[in-house]
Amino acid sequence: MPSSTSNSDSEVARPGFVRQTASDRPGVAQPVPERDIPARPWGPIIFAAFIMFVLLIAAWEWYWRDYGVTPSYRNSPGQWAAQRRRIDNGEGDKTVLIGSSRVLFGVQLPVWEKAVGERPIQLSLEGTSSIPVLEDLAEDPNFKGRLLIGVTPDLFFSGFAYRGDVIPYYHKQGPSQRSGHWISQHFFEPYFAFYDPDFALDTLVKRQAWPVRPGVPSRRSVRKLMIQDADRNSHMWRKIEVDPEYRALMRSIWSERFVGPPPPMMNTPEKLHKLIDTQISRAEAAVKKLRARGVSMVFIRMPSAGEYYAFEQKVFPRSSTWDVLLKRTNTPGIHFEDHPELQGYELPEWSHLSASEANRFTAALMPIVQQEFEAQESK
Amino acid sequence: MVFNSLTFMVFFALVLALHAMPFKWTTKKINLLIASYLFYAAWNPPFIILLWISTIVDWYAAQKLVHAEKPAARRFWMLLSVVVNLGMLAYFKYGTFLLENFTVLMASIGVDYQAPAFDIILPVGISFYTFATLSYTLDIYLRRAEPAKNFLDYALFVTFFPHLVAGPIMRPTELVPQFVEPRKASSQMLFFGLGLMTLGLFQKVVLADSFLAPAAEMIYDGKGIAGTLDAWIATLAFSGQIFCDFAGYSTTAIGAAMCLGFAMPDNFRFPYAAIGFSDFWRRWHITLSSWLRDYLYIPLGGNRHGEARTYLALMVTMLLGGLWHGASWAFVVWGGLHGFYLAAERILRSRFSGYRPGPFALFLFALLTYALINITWVFFRADSFGKAWMILSGMFGMNVGAAPILPTMHLTMVTLIVSGIVFAHWQMRQQTLESFIARVPAWLLSCAWAVMAFLIVIAQGDGNAFIYFQF
Repeated sequence: MPSSTSNSDSEVARPGFVRQTASDRPGVAQPVPERDIPARPWGPIIFAAFIMFVLLIAAWEWYWRDYGVTPSYRNSPGQWAAQRRRIDNGEGDKTVLIGSSRVLFGVQLPVWEKAVGERPIQLSLEGTSSIPVLEDLAEDPNFKGRLLIGVTPDLFFSGFAYRGDVIPYYHKQGPSQRSGHWISQHFFEPYFAFYDPDFALDTLVKRQAWPVRPGVPSRRSVRKLMIQDADRNSHMWRKIEVDPEYRALMRSIWSERFVGPPPPMMNTPEKLHKLIDTQISRAEAAVKKLRARGVSMVFIRMPSAGEYYAFEQKVFPRSSTWDVLLKRTNTPGIHFEDHPELQGYELPEWSHLSASEANRFTAALMPIVQQEFEAQESK
Repeated sequence: MVFNSLTFMVFFALVLALHAMPFKWTTKKINLLIASYLFYAAWNPPFIILLWISTIVDWYAAQKLVHAEKPAARRFWMLLSVVVNLGMLAYFKYGTFLLENFTVLMASIGVDYQAPAFDIILPVGISFYTFATLSYTLDIYLRRAEPAKNFLDYALFVTFFPHLVAGPIMRPTELVPQFVEPRKASSQMLFFGLGLMTLGLFQKVVLADSFLAPAAEMIYDGKGIAGTLDAWIATLAFSGQIFCDFAGYSTTAIGAAMCLGFAMPDNFRFPYAAIGFSDFWRRWHITLSSWLRDYLYIPLGGNRHGEARTYLALMVTMLLGGLWHGASWAFVVWGGLHGFYLAAERILRSRFSGYRPGPFALFLFALLTYALINITWVFFRADSFGKAWMILSGMFGMNVGAAPILPTMHLTMVTLIVSGIVFAHWQMRQQTLESFIARVPAWLLSCAWAVMAFLIVIAQGDGNAFIYFQF
């Protein structure tokens, strides 16, 4: 930028600087830059740095494995986009699972595949209403298959979408992002336990016991809950089942969400009713488009327990949410409370089925889902 | 592709390996050219056509310009280059902005003009490469530079991937001569280049993305009203974020070029130790500020035509410099504030020309400069004037009763990191990074390098784009 101290636009003396820059040479052709290489023993320096780096990484990996972590695939936007793209690449007639983490953990793809010979595409997103994905599929003429739509009351009827940015990511994903995902999935994710967003540096720093600033609500983020395969088949991390302390921690994190004032968009009965109505209208419009293309759909309310179930019953009772949804969309639904075979499973932290229970649950669910799909398709 | 991505790691390893092969120099340059096109196409392949248009038009215009004998013909070819480059920039970067303002203008005189849909995607780095290609024809027009001897050298000057999308903005005289003779990095250049890349990525991935950006986002993108502490911490966080993000990019770019045997100019010189605003602009985004000075401020008259003309040239340069950053009035205000600061400083320096401040006063002036620069960052970061005003109100204690927003962790991390940055800049203000490193014990350099690399890996960045890509 122009120097307001110079008396002319000619070269300015800059005592103190080791080398001049373009800012010191106004109005002239800039010469080839000179770059100094500090006189240091760079060979030994980089060698020692590399050894230390490898040791630090090894120690970090050992620490997390000792904590009970095993390498698994990252639940990244690239991972979701890769599965979503299967619909564009000739698999548009397949069964697709959408919903939140309950469908992600609770519906096991190998069990499904064993039962009907087809492995569904898993597009559920944790902490996220299924409506944005439902709307995205409704706009995609390539999709003509079957759709199982998870309904987690506090997410679906509030429209909360923790991973909502994944859909625009899929639509805008560039070649370098795709190749980055491929490299990550083939060379890093299957081998490094620490390579998990839950153990990223900023997450770990944030998680420390910082003093609470008066007036700032203390709400902890959900910790690592799951292990994921390359095609997003997921199950609960074993630590939650075997480590009572970790399980209690997860429950206490959920409990924080059940106390305190509701968010501004649902802090009166009228606002809450309007919010629920809006979400059902969105679902209704999407379902209409999908049905016009011949897509068979079934809603599913996965099990919940304990304080989580009590919270759902209190804020999003079935009569004003689930029942209205099925009626307005004219779509069949499977509510765990209506089927004895879908009840009595172990949910260690109240919201998700454990890994072994998820297999049993999927096996029990399959005949009901098949029956609902076939009933629609026979009409 | 972005530097902080796995794709770039693989790409760069392949480019280094290819460049080390015993090919002819021309073959190596063709390899670099193809690699640079791949680097750019990895975002959005069709936009490579714009890069080609810019390259070919300026090559052709410069060839014609050099052989034109009449001044009118020379001016025609220079103007053709300017119109094509600025036309592309105007269409892709400012099209929507111009249309929105035209609609508002029409509405203000009672005309209900409905603008057609104008959904344009901004090609990455267009502001940077159009300025680089423009400087080629302008330098030849101004007889400061000779045209490149062959098209390959020129095309590689425009496209060379380390500087292509976010600078440093290279002049033809800085880079084209480097393509004439074979260049190969020595082992010292390769190692130090890798060290610079590690430092740049540490600034971006660990400091900017992991610790500074979230605090700024909570206030600038949140819905709450910020009190004094929150508004200041968020703005300080952004001041640190944008420095670490952009200086981190420049350092990585310089390191990448060095690994291949090429030299790129400094783009930052510890700007938060600046004493005054003219000093700041000799330290911040040097290649842009000097570009604007050489191709805009000086042609507008610079400081050669009296005080009034100088202030006018200064203000026009800074306003357009603001607009270069983005198609929004907030950027114009940001540039205008800097223009005002520079003009005020010029007046004060002439009024108190005999004043020689002592070391403590200099330090206080540096802090004052930094504080005033933070005021300008509010307009740079806020997505609306309403938001900017809310933050400024908070910073000046006018949001009485605002509930606290930022948790202790953000307050602590931002304070530590930003204090560290400002302290480091103050310590380094009269030296270069290289002269400092030359005095550091080898064992300490190894430790620092290993720790930075380790922190980059465990930060697990998401490959967030650098802020300046959007410009």
